[in-house]
Amino acid sequence: MLEAFAISFRLRNTYKTNGIIWSLKGIPLVKRLLPASLYASRGLKLFANILSGMWELCSVFLGKALYLLAIYTLAQGMRAASGDSYAHMLLFLTLIGGFLNTQIFDPTKDKFYAICIMRMDAKRYTLANYFYFLLKMLIGFLAFSLLFGSLAGASLVTCLAVPVYVVAVKILFTAKSLADCEKLDKTFNENKPTLMKYACAALFFLAAMAPPYLGYACSERVFWIVTAVLLVPAAFALRYILRFEAYRPIYKALLRPESILANYGGDSEGAAQQLAMQKRITADFTQTSNKSGYPYFNELFMKRHAKILTRAAKRIAFIAALFFAASAVALYMFPGARADVNMLLLTYLPYFLFVMYLINCGKTVTQAMFMNCDHSMLTYRFYRQPKAILALFVERLKYVIAINLLPAGVIALGLPLLLYASGGTAEPLNYVVLFVSIIAMSVFFSVHHMVMYYLLQPYNVNLESKSATYGIVNWITYIVCYSAIRFQLPTLLFGSAISAFCILYAIVAFILAYRLAPKTFKLRN
Amino acid sequence: MQAQETVAQDARRRHMKLLVEHVSKSFDKKAVLKDVDFTFESGKIYGLLGRNGAGKTTLFNCINEDLPVSGGTFAIEEDGVRRAVRAADIGYVLSTPVVPEFLTGREFLKFFIDINKDRIKDGKTIDAYFDLVGIEPEDRDRLIKDYSHGMKNKMQMLVNFIADPGILLLDEPLTSFDVVVADEMKQLLRHRKDEHIIIFSTHIMELALDLCDEIVILNGGVLQAIDKADMDNAAFKDRIISALRGEGDA
Repeated sequence: MLEAFAISFRLRNTYKTNGIIWSLKGIPLVKRLLPASLYASRGLKLFANILSGMWELCSVFLGKALYLLAIYTLAQGMRAASGDSYAHMLLFLTLIGGFLNTQIFDPTKDKFYAICIMRMDAKRYTLANYFYFLLKMLIGFLAFSLLFGSLAGASLVTCLAVPVYVVAVKILFTAKSLADCEKLDKTFNENKPTLMKYACAALFFLAAMAPPYLGYACSERVFWIVTAVLLVPAAFALRYILRFEAYRPIYKALLRPESILANYGGDSEGAAQQLAMQKRITADFTQTSNKSGYPYFNELFMKRHAKILTRAAKRIAFIAALFFAASAVALYMFPGARADVNMLLLTYLPYFLFVMYLINCGKTVTQAMFMNCDHSMLTYRFYRQPKAILALFVERLKYVIAINLLPAGVIALGLPLLLYASGGTAEPLNYVVLFVSIIAMSVFFSVHHMVMYYLLQPYNVNLESKSATYGIVNWITYIVCYSAIRFQLPTLLFGSAISAFCILYAIVAFILAYRLAPKTFKLRN
Repeated sequence: MQAQETVAQDARRRHMKLLVEHVSKSFDKKAVLKDVDFTFESGKIYGLLGRNGAGKTTLFNCINEDLPVSGGTFAIEEDGVRRAVRAADIGYVLSTPVVPEFLTGREFLKFFIDINKDRIKDGKTIDAYFDLVGIEPEDRDRLIKDYSHGMKNKMQMLVNFIADPGILLLDEPLTSFDVVVADEMKQLLRHRKDEHIIIFSTHIMELALDLCDEIVILNGGVLQAIDKADMDNAAFKDRIISALRGEGDA
């Protein structure tokens, strides 16, 4: 078994290090520093190995440390005794982990490579890695249970019992799932829990939190007894796991390439994304177009993707309208809340940068454009002519802006309305600024996503991502919008500034795209 | 009818040559094309053979300007007059079919014809085009994403026939067709060769020998024609294989 473990560990490490080197190659400036014979470079391999080793260490300690730190912190806020609360919460939360994190039913790439591609013995592979997983649990939980448990005031016995209890619960649930697989002749994917499992998780979570909060927690003694009692069935369960033979059929069903590659990164990620995206095309043939040429092509594209574009926008607009109506009614009924809402509207406009980012369909639409359209069309010369690229760019931009303006319009009208309903403002310009800035933000995100797509499209014809720049830009956009949440600025100031910025950005970006897109909008080599 | 059409098109398109002059292409430090120097002429189907990784697709990508060359030039000579290659001169059929999944076959053709109407001479109706490659009436109004691999490939081939570029690059195009369709496609290509330069890359030697008028081999980054002279097929095959292995003078 040790040998099976060593082989699988080496295999996993090799693809992890290659993955790290591959990602490094995608970073704009870094890639110039890398030698041509990347994957044979010893220095680079060593560096990637260190990163991979650090990641492995994190997998042993970091998650568990954060988890137990959270429980320790929560235990401080409970009415029940801190030590008891600590034991009580672990008693129930561990049950959730028991069926949501079994390791065996997690369809990962390393299992796919080892069992399906390298044809390793499924049982030996599974058991070797399962015991490694349990060992990591034992060590990680022991270390941090001792630390945070004693900080929480739990006794040494409780601290020592925690890792034992966790491992026992894992073994029991795993054996139960394996038995179910055999009996029901089906397999589970732990990343796609059934509704039943979600309900159980919610129930256990409630059971973990509510009683200690109200002052009732199982005592530590109960925790010890449960742990001791579980040891006997856990021993039988372990024997069952060891004797279980049908690992290969389970993995045959669980590790289908499409489910593996859809969940994980790597060079076939694009292909899986494309497959998923193509499923979202609606084949409604009543949707036709009377236009011709590129407008015809674009209109059909937008109509066939109504599910993710117009329909989503309408839904958001509807929900927003409902929200504003409800808020207006609430303000009418509870005059006491008016001052607070008024203050929020006059200082929390930055928050809406993030909201507008979230509801903008620009990113989804550009993804659909590439996966379902440009990936194939860009191989045709006529489609890559500057005139064609610009014609379609303008046509698409009009649509994307229009689609996003629907929910944006509702919000842009709703906010000043709410401001008025909450008591108004002495500065009437605030109404205008609220309206204009929301519209400006919406246009900004539409233009931003389209322009970035036209300037930085990262995929090649085989749907491999060849540049990390696009991902980095998207990530920065997210971070900037997300951090806007924390700012409180006078609406008049922020609104005017952001409107001016958005309009300026949109103009510059449009000109930039118009100049550069004929050169940059292509399949990568 | 076919003969009349051919005569009419002959009058339209003059004798054409594609001049590939000392073209080289390197990736990082790896030279894939070293010194490709060759003249392709209309009226012939060229079978481009090369081992895996020899650079056949790279050569096509360079001709189609998908990849910038590291050195050398491409040019066209029409009745002795030299000019630069234009986008409209080249059609490229990829080995994996690329067609817009969200359109029906008919919509794709309508769009394609709309866009290229200035280039299309003697246009036919959309249904006549479908008939040309044998796409059945019941399939014409289905989404392309539900087409089989072979049907997608037919669509790709078809739009290249409609645009009718003087040079047609075909990268392993017949492998996904069943034997009947593959045979129909071969007939179509043979009919078109008089006024076109057709370069056909393949791994299947029998196909190359059956369809092509001239065999060119890409080996060691260099392109060379293999002269059949008066050899029989078996001897010719041996010669091709030894050339592909890079043995001696082929």
